[in-house]
Amino acid sequence: MDILLGSIASGILLGMVLSLVALGLTIIFGLMDIVNFAHGEFLMIGMYTGLLTAQATGLDPLLTLPLAAGIGFLLGVACYGGFVKYLLRGPMIAQLLGTFGLMLLLRNIALLFFGSEDRGLHHGLLVGKSFDIGMGIIISATKLAVAVLAVLSFCGVWLLMNRTKLGKALTATALNRQGARYMGIPTERMNALAWGIGCATVTVAGALIVNFWSVNPYVGLIFTMIAFTVVALGGFGSVPGAFFAGLVVGFIMEIPGFWDFFAITFDIGWMADVPMTSFKYTWIYVAYFVIMLIRPRGLFGWKQ
Amino acid sequence: MRSSLKRKRLLLGIILLTALALPGAAMAEEIKIGVLFPLTGGAAAAGRELRSGAELALEIANSAMPDIDMTMAKNAGIKSMGGSKITLIFKDHEGNPTLGADLAKKLILDDKVHGLMGAYHSAVTKTVSAVAEQYGIPLINDSSTSPELTKQGYKWFWRTTPHDIYFTKDLFEFLKGLTEGKVKGVPAVPKQDILNLASACEKTEWGAAVSELIEKFGKDYGFEVKKSILYAAKATDLSSEVRSLIAVKPDAMLFASYTSDAILMMKTLKDQKAAPKLLWGQNAGFEVPEFVSTLGDAAVGSLTRTVFIPKIAQVKPVAAKVNSMYKAKTGNDLSGASARSFTGLQAWVHVLEKAGSLKPADIQKAANAIEIPGAELVVPWQGIKFATSGDDIGQNTLGMGLIGQYQKTADGKIDLEIVYPFNVATANMLYPFPKF
Repeated sequence: MDILLGSIASGILLGMVLSLVALGLTIIFGLMDIVNFAHGEFLMIGMYTGLLTAQATGLDPLLTLPLAAGIGFLLGVACYGGFVKYLLRGPMIAQLLGTFGLMLLLRNIALLFFGSEDRGLHHGLLVGKSFDIGMGIIISATKLAVAVLAVLSFCGVWLLMNRTKLGKALTATALNRQGARYMGIPTERMNALAWGIGCATVTVAGALIVNFWSVNPYVGLIFTMIAFTVVALGGFGSVPGAFFAGLVVGFIMEIPGFWDFFAITFDIGWMADVPMTSFKYTWIYVAYFVIMLIRPRGLFGWKQ
Repeated sequence: MRSSLKRKRLLLGIILLTALALPGAAMAEEIKIGVLFPLTGGAAAAGRELRSGAELALEIANSAMPDIDMTMAKNAGIKSMGGSKITLIFKDHEGNPTLGADLAKKLILDDKVHGLMGAYHSAVTKTVSAVAEQYGIPLINDSSTSPELTKQGYKWFWRTTPHDIYFTKDLFEFLKGLTEGKVKGVPAVPKQDILNLASACEKTEWGAAVSELIEKFGKDYGFEVKKSILYAAKATDLSSEVRSLIAVKPDAMLFASYTSDAILMMKTLKDQKAAPKLLWGQNAGFEVPEFVSTLGDAAVGSLTRTVFIPKIAQVKPVAAKVNSMYKAKTGNDLSGASARSFTGLQAWVHVLEKAGSLKPADIQKAANAIEIPGAELVVPWQGIKFATSGDDIGQNTLGMGLIGQYQKTADGKIDLEIVYPFNVATANMLYPFPKF
């Protein structure tokens, strides 16, 4: 029983972390129809921002979050203004390859400046702390913090999109850019804003994630892959979809734990011998494949 | 103006000609060894250490340093070849097996090397050894530990470092010693207390092989391996793996991990409040400097297998001497990587000395016949002697590993102390593993 509850708790936490990572991707896609392959690299930049600022200033890593958000926002706006704006004029393939190129560029810049070795934080208010609340449920303080941030970010973005004029303008731009422009909406600025917000959410996630996962210049790829699955599952462009899909993916990643629960509880020998952890990521991609096959719109997709 | 230019050209031509002619005449006995290491890419840090270790050995071999108690330090160059000097030609294979094979071919065909050394990554050593075999050029491998490499029956391949079968056996000898009270500072532990083992290894060739070895030796030594996990080294999260390990309540947790996953594993173990009595890593991720610098106190008490720990200097004067030279040269202590490349080149010097010629056949014969006593080595082996028959051809039969434990020194630094072999232990072992 312990292992089951532990896995559920861990799945929820991990799911929230992943949904926060995917939030920026779904915002940018939902509003601009651009698939941002460099998404994981923004996360990596957020991680380095949190890590290096905390190390250089001696501040608690938590205090670096506003800075990471600011850097992410500026970076997003700069990427849009200096790069993506021009890509939008080209065909779809140019956008795909363009953000792919951006990914390579950012990764190699990081490699140039930071080197290839792994770096991690080992001091901080939350680093390495966890609460044992019994029955096998152990909650790590850092992951809990990310989960809280995830809930706040999702609520914030949802409110922004649905309860403010700005959100209406963003949605209008996404639905029909030309029509929005006729209505007097500065669509260029809206697009830049979408990139700014999208990047800020992911860099701030990175600055918090670096409290428990270490960073190297290659770390972005696997997060990009997972974020894609989350976004595809939730429906490209759907903000609530990304949140729930994140939870689902979190549970998928805990499949080995559930498997262990059955193997141990019912003492099933052959189950215990199956190397489930070796296939941990396989299930995510299987899920991605199945979703693409039967419901390409995703669970909450609103775009065709 | 023009004529002076002509004259300059003529002069230049003459200089060039003499330069070309000279090596032919004066340096006829120059011994060229091609060395393949990963000097850039993910393992560049290890590559730099490997290179420095080999360079230091070269320096000692090419000049007389009578104050070092090594045969190769006695003479300048190779005595049996009239004092010929050795030149090393370094090539960077970037951890890429295909590139490694290409570079080996270039070294053999273009640079006309007399022998090869390298290549750290077992996967690269595999392709390089195939090239060496094809061209009949001797290759001494200093630092690749996949047992597979010496099982190919190659006639031009020798390996000085012990491989993972030795290292895993060491672990179980150590566990056995623990139950017999042989470990310094720890009274005999009842076997019942450390009977249950669980392992988590990364799932590529190296980790998967280690995982199998742990199961095999576990059975042989009468331990129970309750859980063997294979995981992706690039995993972002290891909490389900760790929970799976904890679920079987193991007394000892055993790992084969690369750098980032070793650190993540330790952090997750700490988060999940794992409380094994013993925690051991198969070097790699557990031995890199980042392991300690990132984990800090959380690393204290964990064990790692290795082939060199600076503390070895306390029990081996020759290691102390070479280590101080290495430190003066690079600023660092010798490590498992640099100590092994040093020893690899040392083996080359002995082979050349015995061969007395540069004919591949003579070198081959000499390599099969050399015997270097353990006292001459910086690593704590009984010596170097290559197997010439059996199913491990070319393997050094006298090698052995060390098991070190991270401990906190009086000044707050975290250092590796030797706990195995028992006769060279430098500190009392911390047992059981302190709670995270």
